[in-house]
Parts: sequence; structure tokens; C-alpha cells
Amino acid sequence: MIRSLPALALALSLAVPSQADARALVLAIGGEPDGGFDPIMGWGHYGSPLFQSTLLRYDAKLELIGDLATNWELSEDRLVWRLSLRDDAVFSDGRPLTAEDVVFTYNTARTAGGLADLRVLREARAIDATTVELALTEPRITFAARLATLGIVPAGSYGAEYARHPVGSGPFRMVEWREGEQLVVEPNPHWHGGEIAFERVSFVFGSEEAGQALARTGAADLVAVPPSMADRAPPGMEDLHVDSVDNRGLAFPMLPSTGRTTDAGAAIGNDVTADRAIRVAVNQALDRDALVALALDGHGRPAMGPADGLPWDNPEAAIPGNDPAAAMDTLDAAGWTDEDGDGIREKDGLRAAFQLLYPASDSTRQALALGASEQLRGIGIDARPTGGSWDEIGALMHSQVVVLGWGAHDPSEIYFLHHGNYSGVDYYNTGHYANPAVDAHLEAAEAASGVDASLARWKAAAWDGETGFGPRGDAAWAWMVNLEHSYWVSECLDLGALQVHPHGHGFPITHDLASWRWTCE
Amino acid sequence: MNGVAASRRSPRRRAALQGGVALVLLGAVLAGSALLPESAQTVDAVARALPPQPGHILGTDLLGRDIAARTLAALAQSLQVGLLAAGCSTMVAVLLGLAATFGRAADHVVGALTELALGLPHFVLLIMIAFAAGGGTTGVIVAVALTHWPRLARVLRHEAQGIAASDYVAISRALGRSRGWIARHHLVPHLVPQIVAGFIVIFPHAILHEAGLSFIGLGIEPHLPSVGVMLADSLREIMAGNWWVGAAPGLGLMLVALAFERFGEALRRTTSPAGGVA
Repeated sequence: MIRSLPALALALSLAVPSQADARALVLAIGGEPDGGFDPIMGWGHYGSPLFQSTLLRYDAKLELIGDLATNWELSEDRLVWRLSLRDDAVFSDGRPLTAEDVVFTYNTARTAGGLADLRVLREARAIDATTVELALTEPRITFAARLATLGIVPAGSYGAEYARHPVGSGPFRMVEWREGEQLVVEPNPHWHGGEIAFERVSFVFGSEEAGQALARTGAADLVAVPPSMADRAPPGMEDLHVDSVDNRGLAFPMLPSTGRTTDAGAAIGNDVTADRAIRVAVNQALDRDALVALALDGHGRPAMGPADGLPWDNPEAAIPGNDPAAAMDTLDAAGWTDEDGDGIREKDGLRAAFQLLYPASDSTRQALALGASEQLRGIGIDARPTGGSWDEIGALMHSQVVVLGWGAHDPSEIYFLHHGNYSGVDYYNTGHYANPAVDAHLEAAEAASGVDASLARWKAAAWDGETGFGPRGDAAWAWMVNLEHSYWVSECLDLGALQVHPHGHGFPITHDLASWRWTCE
Repeated sequence: MNGVAASRRSPRRRAALQGGVALVLLGAVLAGSALLPESAQTVDAVARALPPQPGHILGTDLLGRDIAARTLAALAQSLQVGLLAAGCSTMVAVLLGLAATFGRAADHVVGALTELALGLPHFVLLIMIAFAAGGGTTGVIVAVALTHWPRLARVLRHEAQGIAASDYVAISRALGRSRGWIARHHLVPHLVPQIVAGFIVIFPHAILHEAGLSFIGLGIEPHLPSVGVMLADSLREIMAGNWWVGAAPGLGLMLVALAFERFGEALRRTTSPAGGVA
């Protein structure tokens, strides 16, 4: 109750000017970055970077088009990108953007270790004022995706305060940011991309309920809503469902428990999930349609792999789910039987039990954990749901099963999730999965001569007829659902063509914010 | 002679009546939750967000769990946590109250501690302790135990000092009895009524604070049945028009807390000099 009072106060304050002045847009879609608006530290990875422009960008069909770059090509040996820059790009403080700024941004991001993963970049160099070269240490076909996500910062004024006071050549400039409350931006008069239809755009942060309260008072024009509210738009707004590659699955610890720990002291390995039969049985048992109904209110679809429906997905790697009988056969054959009659199987005195970790603040993952736990109990596996903070999950995720979510517009994530070199790195390969054959396929995919040529190798990494990371092979994950992202959107707001969303409900919808139009008088 | 008139005249009868109500509620909740089959609380994709109806007399939540079963289990959980936390808190108060009779310095320390604890904002302290103890059921119990002792400790300290100054204690001391012996044989038996009343007054506070901490996400894990968790869930569901999700746990919590609050109050009056008159 108390939480909704500030929302109502805000609603009133927002409602008044929006009627009197020229059109201001109010969005309640979450996505406030913890670390501020510094692309070098990861800002803009999903959705529009607002303040900065990128070298390339994805259009609504997910094809790469130029933003700052007017022309781009990859060398024969696939180690050097050469890009020509437009000469009319200007930062919001009025200074022109040159090749030096691009070089500064890429070289700084390479060493900064933020979310913008640029380890493969050897160096960025300026050839002249409008030409840059990016040299790689090894061929990396997915590097093009980094060109579309890393916003360019000004070499002259970038510093410690940048994240709070961003300056960029993007469509908007910051008016005010009150952390935890709202971000207000206005069009950047120097932007090279054309007219923007709104005087101001306000991003209201806070709880889901606060956003919905704003929408009901007519104070918000676009609100991200959970699946349970997806079909309940208030008068004057419409329900909008956007397809996504945002998925949720169970990440298994792949190694047996040997007492080994991470540098931070977290235990690695789990003797139950280290048995492939357990992981395969989980994949066979899960009734993903039921999970979609339970956790997503039907707004989603079953997930069989990490990239369902994308060009690099290999449907051959999947095995049929919702088959408890087959799952029980798998467990019986592997020696997991219920000796003591308590409904849970054992093998050599080891109970088929593990924790199922979910972030306590995420109701969707909680529902998935509960649903999966119940389905697994039916085949004699005790998966105990355990809610916790991300810190608590971080300490347990290398030794227990965890509900994680991914989904990107390029296949680099497939590499990060399954390559042995990424064992225990961030939230990527939490299970410490390593299979030399899979690693070789992943490396070959990145080294391919082009995107099309890489597809076969990505698919082979999932299942090549003998092995792979997919359920038919090592079953490193049990994928559960692909989300649909739901919004309430004002009937007067035209969002244009929308992309299939990546991971992250809310902010990705802003990818083409500058071209949105208001259709009412 | 009706019940109200009787209870007005006799604080003891009134306390017995209130105690009966509270104990019946306690018994009903514990028995009800123990008799529930485990399946009564499991998720069900088909029976999601159903309003009250035959089969689900209090409706179901967004995950298809039966609200009646979940409320019973949540209240039982609250009562267990409340009993444990209030018990720990009472223990702390008793130990400090007795310690105050162990000389002037000890008395000063206990007095200062009590005043200090009373001066700190209650719920803020609760949140900080629960957070520091890592949240969860343990965090709630530790936090309630460490924040609810001061008032009772103050009462016990004064009572204990009064008894310690009496003649028969002086005689015991002259006979060479140790302080521990005196505490066991003279102080504790005389303090029992205050201790029991204090425990019963703390108990509803403990339940309410368990719910409060779980509501803001510092208490019991969100998939387990707990009144605070259910109320937090209901915030989201009330938006969707599902009023029944919050109604049952909210009313249940209020009833249980009210019953024990009144019992505690009635019990306190039986021991107060102005008993029954007010």
C-alpha cells in the first residue's frame, strides 16, 4: 500500500504538464541501470543506448545497418574490421564525433572489463578522421554484434562522472536522473538521425505495481506488465505482446563434487546432476506447456534449446519432453531406484535431490521453479525450490541447479554458455561444462568465413551426431520456456515495427524510440 | 449474569475466557495445517486465480494454490515462528531481569541496556538484525528475539529488585545461600505470572513482525506459506482484481494477533493492582 502512494503522487505531477505542454512521453518499463549510462560498463547492451550512437545497429528484422558507420568491411583473414564514419555526427555538447572517439571507446572498453565483452579486440586505430580499423586477436564472427551494442563516448570529456552525466551523439540527451525514481531525457538537437516527435521522454522506475497505477491514471503511455496482467489493459491502452528469444532454463552443475571451490569460495560440483541420466531425465520429464500456462499465463512457448527458432538453433539436439515414463526408464537404467519407498530415488546411497535456486524477487522464475519441482517429484527427483538474492545464488550456483535466463540477437551467447573457457565466468557457464568436441565446434563457428558459414558449426556444437551440449548429448541445460514480453501501450502511440526482443523485459522495446510517433491530436 | 458482566467483575474469569479463545484458535490452526494433505498447497496450472467456490472455499492464487490450505499453513508457520521468537525474547528478558539483582553495577548495565533498546526505532532495528542474520526463518526469530525483550525486562527488573530487598531473601543470604540459589528458589517462582503475561503480550507482536519482515522480502522464502509472503503476493493480484488472495491471510493474521493481544491484556490485569477496575 505504502509503495503505491509515491506512484500516485508522481502520477498526478506527471498528468498535469502532459496535457498543457507539447507532448511528453512517459514510459514505465523498468531497466534502470545500476551503474549509470556508461556504454563501456555495459549500458545499452539491450535496447537503445538513448544518449550514444553505435557504429552499426539492428533494424526491426535484425539485420545490421549503419548508424555512425556508412561503410564497413571485414578483411580476408577476418581479423580486421575497417569502418568509414559519417562526418556529420556531433556530440550533444556540440563537438564533432571523429575516429579518435571511436578508437578511444573501443580501446577503453577492451581493458575496462565491463559487460561489453571485447577480449578478442587486439586494438582499435584511426586511419584518418573518418576511418577506423578494429583488429582482432582471432577471427570472431559474432564481433559484428558488438559493433551494434557499444555506444561511442567522447574521448575529450569521458571520465569518472560520465555514467551519471552521459554525453553522446545519440538521439537524446539527459535532463535529469533521480535514481530509483525517474530519468528524463529530451531530443538531442545535434542528432544526425532526424526529427523526434516528443518534447521529452520520462522513464519512471519503481515496482511493477507503481507502473500499472500510473497507467490506470492515464499518466503513463507505455508500461511493461507481468504475464498475469497482460490482457488487462485499462481504457485508452492496448495490450501488446512482443515475441522474444528471452528464455528460462535450468543450468546443471556438470562436475562431481570433489571439494573444489571457486576463487570466491563457492563450492563446485554436484554428484547428483553430474550424472547425465539425471539431466536427461529432467529434460524428458518437464511438461513445458504446463510451465508456460502456470508461470506465463500462456504468454510464451516451450523452450527446447538456448536459441529456439534462431538460425543457429539445432532442433536435432532436443529430445521430447512431457514423457515421465521415458524419464523413469532413463533413471531405472542408470541405477536410480527408490529403495526406501519415500518417493525419491537413490543410487548407491545418494538421494536424487538438489536445490532449485531462483531469485526471490522474480515471481516468474519462482513459478517456474515450483512447477518444475513438482513435475520432477513425479519421477522421483527431489528438486527443492530455494529462493534467495543474487548474492546467495552466486554462492550456490556452481553446486546446485539454478533457474537462469538468456537470449540474444547473436550466437555469441551460445559460446559463452558452453565453452570450457567460460567455466565460472559471471553467470555464463555456471555448471563448469567442458567438452573438447563442443569447444572445437564453437571455436570453428567463431572462425567461420561468414555468418552463414558459421551456422552449421553452431548447430554441430549443440549436436553433431555423436556429442553436443544439447539434451541429446551432454544435456548441460534443461530449457523450459521462451517468454513473450507484454506491455500496455497507449492507443495513440505508434511504435513502428518491433524487433523480436532479446533477454530483458522492458528496455529492449526502446530500440527504435526515436522513430515513435503520436497519432492523436 | 451474562459473560461480559462477569468478565468485567472478575479479571481472572475474563483472562480465562480470552485464553480459551486464543488457545482454541491456536489449536485449530495447528491441527488444521497438520491434517492438510501436502497436495493442498501444490501449484496447479488449471486452477489458477479462481474466486471462492466449492472445492476452493477461499479461492486460489495465481499459481493455482488453494488459499484456504495455504492460509492455514501460513498461520501455523507464523504461530511456530512467533512462539519460538517470543520464547527467546522472554528468556532474554528473564536473564537480564535476574542479572539486575546481582549487584549495583549489573543493575546499572541492565538498566542502561534496556533504556537504550527502548530508545531505538523498533522496526528499523528489526530490519537491520534480520538482514544481518541473513534473512529467512532464522533471521526473523533472531530479530524478534533481540528486539522485544526491553519492556518485559524492565518490569522483571523492578519486580526482582523488590523481592531481592524482602526479609526472607535477606535471611536466605544470611544463611549463606548463593545468588544462583536465591534466584532459583525465591525470584523465579515469584516472577512466573509476569513472565507468562509478558510472553503472551510479546507473542502477537512476534507474529505481526514475522509477517512484516516476510512482506518486505527479508523473512521467509517467497514460495513457502507465510502470511507476509501471501500479503506481498496479494498486492500484485489485487491489481488484477483478485481480492480473495489477500483477504484470508489478512483476516486470519488479524484474528490470531487480536486474540492473543486480548488474552495478554486480560492476563496483565489479573496481576496489576488496579485489576478489573479499569
